[in-house]
Amino acid sequence: MERPYDRTESLNMLLSTYLPDRIRKAVKGIKDHYLKDLEEIRIRSGLPLMGVFSGSDYFISEDGVLSHNSQSALTVAPKEVNSLFLLLCEQSVYAYQEDIIRGFITLKGGHRAGICGTVVYEGDKIKAIKDISSINIRFSRQVKDCAKDIFQKLIRNRQDIYNTLILSPPRCGKTTILRDLCRLISQGVGNDRFRGLRTAVIDERSELAASFRGVPQNDLGPRTDVLDGCRKSQGIEMMLRGMAPQVIIVDELGAKEDADAIRMAWNAGVRIIATAHAFGLEDFKRRLGVGQLAGKDGFERIVLLGMDNGKRWAKVMDANGNEYRALAESYRMPDGFCRVRGCGNEDVFEACGETACTGKTHRNSS
Amino acid sequence: MSLRLVERQRALAKLTEILLNLRNQICKLGIPLFMAFENVGRESNSGVWSDIFIECGNVMRQQHIDAGEAWKKVIKKMGNSVPLDDSDWHVLSDFWELLGKSDRENQESILDLEKENLEMLEKRAKEAINTKGRLYRNLGVLSGAAVVILLL
Repeated sequence: MERPYDRTESLNMLLSTYLPDRIRKAVKGIKDHYLKDLEEIRIRSGLPLMGVFSGSDYFISEDGVLSHNSQSALTVAPKEVNSLFLLLCEQSVYAYQEDIIRGFITLKGGHRAGICGTVVYEGDKIKAIKDISSINIRFSRQVKDCAKDIFQKLIRNRQDIYNTLILSPPRCGKTTILRDLCRLISQGVGNDRFRGLRTAVIDERSELAASFRGVPQNDLGPRTDVLDGCRKSQGIEMMLRGMAPQVIIVDELGAKEDADAIRMAWNAGVRIIATAHAFGLEDFKRRLGVGQLAGKDGFERIVLLGMDNGKRWAKVMDANGNEYRALAESYRMPDGFCRVRGCGNEDVFEACGETACTGKTHRNSS
Repeated sequence: MSLRLVERQRALAKLTEILLNLRNQICKLGIPLFMAFENVGRESNSGVWSDIFIECGNVMRQQHIDAGEAWKKVIKKMGNSVPLDDSDWHVLSDFWELLGKSDRENQESILDLEKENLEMLEKRAKEAINTKGRLYRNLGVLSGAAVVILLL
């Protein structure tokens, strides 16, 4: 039986493993009803300790008292920032140097520490970040079933799904939805309604699986293989050759090479679920390289995510932009994601002979 | 005493071998230090150093301290099992402080430098075997002869 996510346990593990004494004591002193809303701890050299609670900033005193006044907060010593940095790297900076260059370190439990300091270049490439000045520990939380209703619109038949592109501006939940879709595709849904497919995740920025020492910290389903830290274009080719996936999942399409690799996967009969930054379908279509993937013979379903007055919404459309449904705010889930209300989805379960891994071309009439 | 000199030289030679293995684990494979220590400690050819490296890895894993601090703690507890002189320990002590604190390129330089230090110590140990070792053996023979003469 699946063990429920225990945020307190995860937080305690994080505190005892990584935080220096004074900061640990301060965070542990925060009252439980505030602690459950803690999203980030911001630790800056020579500046007050700060926490982000449900999107709002508060300074944290030595005893864990929250305030908008920075005077009463615990001032972090430069030595503590350095000590925290070494603890985050498990006293082995070299083992995390690729992560450090990318600006963050993935921690046990899927949490993430963003790093700031002085950037060292070698030619035009970042070689290292030295003199670490601030660290932002962001608490990860997998929102299971947030994509359950969207997923109903992406099922072609019980053994196949539509090639799907998820579009939204930043911070609208693309990656969270993609992660849950991956879990649902891999795991299957209901009593034989959708059986689950072999899924490959190319996790270029370690955001989907949040692998820690090779072990995914997020649940991506039982049929999922993860290629961590690999470029999308190279990863798709590697997965096609080595792992025979039925579905490949990639986050944040952008480069022209990504488009070529996706076409390669489609030619091999593999389904693609991808995300991209865009305000809408037309916006995405204007993108050089990847934009053409949304046209004819491209993605068959487009999921558009957005936010109105702090409330998230989702729309599912076909390749021509015809909407399958719109969202009402009343369908907003407690976790911040919206439920999709069913309408006009008769075609979703229409039987289709082609399965994800056997088709000669990526497209089939829907 | 002569045997201890030979053991000292062997221990230094073994540590040079271990450093090569450690260099591979750190610079080529990028394995975190505590795991690298445990790995080299478990190698069958680590000899007298085996327990020390395993313990050092354990201490780092459990107490979240750096390699220098862990090394000091472990050597204080288990250093007697290795036949090194105080001067050897002194030369070796600074190296562990630097482990893990920089990128692979820098760690490689640190490990190479330490290898040179160890080779120098080993050379001195060999010289000590040739000079002091012979002296101890001769002293032993002469003492034996003196005892025999006294008995006669």
